[in-house]
Amino acid sequence: MSERLDEGLTPRGLPRAPLRRFVLWLVPWTALLGVGLYAGYRCLAYGLNETNLDNRFAFGLWIYLDLTVIALGAGAFFTGLLLYVLRKRELKAVINSAVVLGFICYSGAVAILMIDVGQPLRAWFTFWHPNVHSMLTEVTFCLTCYLVVLAFEYLPIVLRNRKLSRLPSLLLFEHQLHKLMVVFALVGAFLSFFHQGSLGGLYGVLQGRPFAFREALAVWPSTFFLFILSAAAAGPSFVLATTWIASKLSSRALVRPEVYELLGRVSGRLLVLYVLLKSVDTLVWLNHTSPQLGIHPARFYAFDPFGTWVLFAEIVALGLLPALVLTSARWRRDPRFLVPAAFLACAGVALNRFIMTVQTLALPTLPFDPFLTYLPSWQETMSFLGVVAYGVVLYSLSFRYLNLFPQERELLASEEVTHVPLVA
Amino acid sequence: MFPWSPEFVWDAGHLAFFGAFYSVLAAIAAVLGLGLRRAVADARAGRAHRIAWHAAFEELPARDRACRHQLTGEAPGRVCDNAFDCRRCAAHPSFEALRATHASAVPATGPAGLHLPGDRLYHRGHAFVRPEPDGTVTVGLDDLARRLVGEAEVVERPRPGMCLEEDAPALRLRAQGREVRVLSPVRGVVIGTSGEGAAVTVRVDPEGPLDTRHLLDGDEVGAWAMREIERLQALLGPRELGPALADGGELLPDLGAVIPRERVDGVLGEMFLDL
Repeated sequence: MSERLDEGLTPRGLPRAPLRRFVLWLVPWTALLGVGLYAGYRCLAYGLNETNLDNRFAFGLWIYLDLTVIALGAGAFFTGLLLYVLRKRELKAVINSAVVLGFICYSGAVAILMIDVGQPLRAWFTFWHPNVHSMLTEVTFCLTCYLVVLAFEYLPIVLRNRKLSRLPSLLLFEHQLHKLMVVFALVGAFLSFFHQGSLGGLYGVLQGRPFAFREALAVWPSTFFLFILSAAAAGPSFVLATTWIASKLSSRALVRPEVYELLGRVSGRLLVLYVLLKSVDTLVWLNHTSPQLGIHPARFYAFDPFGTWVLFAEIVALGLLPALVLTSARWRRDPRFLVPAAFLACAGVALNRFIMTVQTLALPTLPFDPFLTYLPSWQETMSFLGVVAYGVVLYSLSFRYLNLFPQERELLASEEVTHVPLVA
Repeated sequence: MFPWSPEFVWDAGHLAFFGAFYSVLAAIAAVLGLGLRRAVADARAGRAHRIAWHAAFEELPARDRACRHQLTGEAPGRVCDNAFDCRRCAAHPSFEALRATHASAVPATGPAGLHLPGDRLYHRGHAFVRPEPDGTVTVGLDDLARRLVGEAEVVERPRPGMCLEEDAPALRLRAQGREVRVLSPVRGVVIGTSGEGAAVTVRVDPEGPLDTRHLLDGDEVGAWAMREIERLQALLGPRELGPALADGGELLPDLGAVIPRERVDGVLGEMFLDL
């Protein structure tokens, strides 16, 4: 019975793993999600006492997770922008997957943000009593709006499910929504640009934290632009990496090599620009901003484990190196270079967000301040992992029951169309 | 939050912030409203089946969208972009002109022992159309389709008086425990149905002259049947191996019964173009 139901929901003609194996795959992730939900419940019910956050270390694992998944989720808006606005038709092969990834990333970020902020019954206060001078307000509004946009981008993919598409009214709505997707792509790009920037700007304006503070261009600190650029660069790499993982786990090709190559090329070029601007920004900060604030930059790297290796890892190993690989046509064509480079680019943006969140708060700001340490509590860790598990579960379900990769069917048809001359 | 709220201040920050926010919300609402309105208009105009067929057609791999003129060699490698509707194809008349004028009669027996009588026209979804002397047509399953569904059960047949649309489901069958929809090759009003299982036929009144340019006939039927058998072989062969050469013989009369259970659904969907 359940097998028949499962088969009726999977895309026709696309082989999927047997239901039993799929369920076995989901069991540990669902268990992890359950523990994460319990941890989240404890934080909401008993407050931030359940965490190791305090007034001095107010941002921890959760904010790091938020910043990272929002940066990686930029693959959704950027792929949509490239496909619907800049007409890069090859990306049609991954747009559905990118939208699902974006939805997972943003819904996960909003969920964890709600736990962090607490008081869920008063969540609407942020909209009703907004502090318009706070960048966090802009981030909250943008995140909420963009999550709504992503939900409406996800909806047509769900409505194309084999069973749902049999209902004419849903099919017609899906068809029309799909035709209007360019508007969602533009709105998504607008929102994403702003909140990515605001998240960066949030650190750049912290004058009391010289490690994060940056000079302003007009009213925006340089981190505003660097966050946008790094997210746009890492997003396509994340789509590439997840497509590759899905392809390996399902043991079949899901997109043509040209699609990987294009994602790598876009990511690489943006990454080169980002590394260049990040290097300039770092040099200005080391030689001008920091000394002006009365702190020798060497002091920032005097506390273990945050030595100068962090700077090297962020800019060179996880920035310049993948950028060089992804901009080389020869290396891009070789999956042995392309895929690790995409993973490195994603790791680079994750490290950048970690540095901005954790290292910024750990470093002393006054001569008598100690170097702060922070280790997340199990509730923080499990709710963090719960979001990861939620992502895996939702993506797995989407992959099984929706047509995430339109080229999959084409690639499955191993036999190419051939000429059968029957008429002289 | 709103201009009437006591916390709202008429300054640039509030105006820019809320202006952008409400513009975004308005854009989202407008898009949804427009989508809904257009969907209702499509439903009222009866475009649902056409849209469904086009959506299914777009999902077909290039191999399954082979142009009829590719099958007969007039246009090697050509893939159809018109949802198998040759009436909308600008190149179709020129390819027709290319075809030899002395088209031979189609043999009653096609490749692999398939029975494909020449008095019928064939739809790519394996339904045939037989014009009757009284101006009506009979629609049924071609021989390959019958062998695929074997001892099928008719789940849903069109009621007399119902209007059939081209490329919209005409019949629903259950074979090997899986359901498949048979697409209608013509448009018209159903007069009646007869037969059971795979032998079911539908009598249709096209209500006017019947335009059959989108249906296969003549020499191309044999070429198409050969290609369909190749498709079937590809679908049934080991995925990692691809299609293997057959060594002759005839297709089993109840082919569906020997297809591995886990592949029946996919094979039926692909062969009947019911994705």
